[in-house]
Amino acid sequence: MPRYYLAWAKDERIREKGANGGFVTATLVSALETGFIDAALVVEKKSVYEGIPVLTSNPEVVKECAGSLHGAPINLTKYVVDYGAKKRIGLPTKPCDARGIIEQAKRRQVNLDNIFMIGLNCGGTLHPLRMREMAADFLGFDPDAVVKEEIKEGKICLVSKEEGMGEKEKWVKIDALEQKGYGRRDACKSCVTKIPTSADLACGNWGSNDTQKTFVEVLTEKGEAILKNAIESGYVEIEEAPGEGIEKRKQIEAGMQRLAEDWKERMDEVSALSRSERLEFYVDALKNCIGCGACKEVCPVCACEAGAKCLDMNDARDSYVVSMYNMLRIFHLMDSCIGCGECEDVCPVDIPLTLIHRRFSERMQRHLGYTPGMDVKERPPLYETELRWSVEE
Amino acid sequence: MPEDKWEPKILAFCCNWCSYAGADAAGLERRQVPPTIRVIRVMCSGRIDPAFVMLGLLEGADAVLVTGCHIGDCHYVNANNQTRNRYEFLKEFVDELGLEPERLWLRWISASEGLLFAEMVREVTEKIREIGPSPLRRDWKK
Repeated sequence: MPRYYLAWAKDERIREKGANGGFVTATLVSALETGFIDAALVVEKKSVYEGIPVLTSNPEVVKECAGSLHGAPINLTKYVVDYGAKKRIGLPTKPCDARGIIEQAKRRQVNLDNIFMIGLNCGGTLHPLRMREMAADFLGFDPDAVVKEEIKEGKICLVSKEEGMGEKEKWVKIDALEQKGYGRRDACKSCVTKIPTSADLACGNWGSNDTQKTFVEVLTEKGEAILKNAIESGYVEIEEAPGEGIEKRKQIEAGMQRLAEDWKERMDEVSALSRSERLEFYVDALKNCIGCGACKEVCPVCACEAGAKCLDMNDARDSYVVSMYNMLRIFHLMDSCIGCGECEDVCPVDIPLTLIHRRFSERMQRHLGYTPGMDVKERPPLYETELRWSVEE
Repeated sequence: MPEDKWEPKILAFCCNWCSYAGADAAGLERRQVPPTIRVIRVMCSGRIDPAFVMLGLLEGADAVLVTGCHIGDCHYVNANNQTRNRYEFLKEFVDELGLEPERLWLRWISASEGLLFAEMVREVTEKIREIGPSPLRRDWKK
């Protein structure tokens, strides 16, 4: 039974720096200071376009990382795998981070008991390069002078600070941007998981009636424990969420999901093609692949190590129409792809991997009736034959 | 190879305990089997990695046949359930990639079903003659 609260940080500085009341930062700081978690995994802001994941046990560092960062689309899953075997870790998670961590737990790469996921409602992130282009072409800013970004109610705001010019602030509707090809990443435009229901807490400003208060949904017992710890140590205050707030949050989510379905259709250039044209499209798109393996390395679902089948069975000397690496990658992700788009972000030759993986995985997942990254008890169907196909059939 | 002389190349994976013996039975019974088929024997159809099927297609097979024991008759208890599961994935994969669905077949054939084996090979060969060479072949030209 999920429960809804409005929560905010008691510490004024955290409230100022964080978005909407600084609840996430305050919760992580309190958990660190009381020893509830050993370390926090947070994204340190270098600039508007750059964030670096930091694993720290120093509450001051966590405080520095407060606030949102839309221009650094990092998926934290693989960092959790690297560091989170024995330590208790708390981290803020977008829906795709949470789904990735659940998928890694299914593959026994992380111990979920040790991981406290403070979910963030997510309307989407921006690719740093697209964001620079947007600042220059659309707003007339010097991209390097942009010091602050904010997204609110379907609008994005950039603040630029140039020498002798003072601060300039400009608001643009995201919809208008996206019509012109700027705006959110393709993966985010078509993502329908806007609230991280597989995390422990889901926080955000949707449904909150006050810019200084965060709307919090408690989803698991772990989430309840970390919230209770934050309240008892005096970092966070809560109140019961009003009924209309819950309704409003649902409406916002449904609206964004409708928009995502729209985008999915609009961006899908393959569905209009015939069968042979489709093959041509895939061959054309994948022929630039240099087999570097970056997409596999960053993929939050993949749990294979150096001897992974996709790398092992691939030989650069093969002159296949589609390389074995891509065939196997696509095949292995058909049941598990969560559509986070990290692969496309890191691809050095700009293959439209988000679209390709979505084409393959969406039809398979619909066929199986399976959504990856939601329930840790559901095993990946490619490996789980006994439960799905019984002898009696 | 000249265009009019093109003959399908069909790759068949046969389970040691059933369909391989089934192919043998087809020969013993003096059944006519088209010479388009190349058989690879595996110890169980559950051994057939989807990658083998992909490699077969990429190396120039016009169709890939996966054959194994009937469900419930597997020599290794239930390994052919995995074959079926993987086939579900491969079927969607091949279809989405833009290949004709007829380029991938799954058939259960027991050791005594020589007739079934011969008929299956005939059926596949006819189908492939209809749809032509695989677009994944390196020498294929439109």
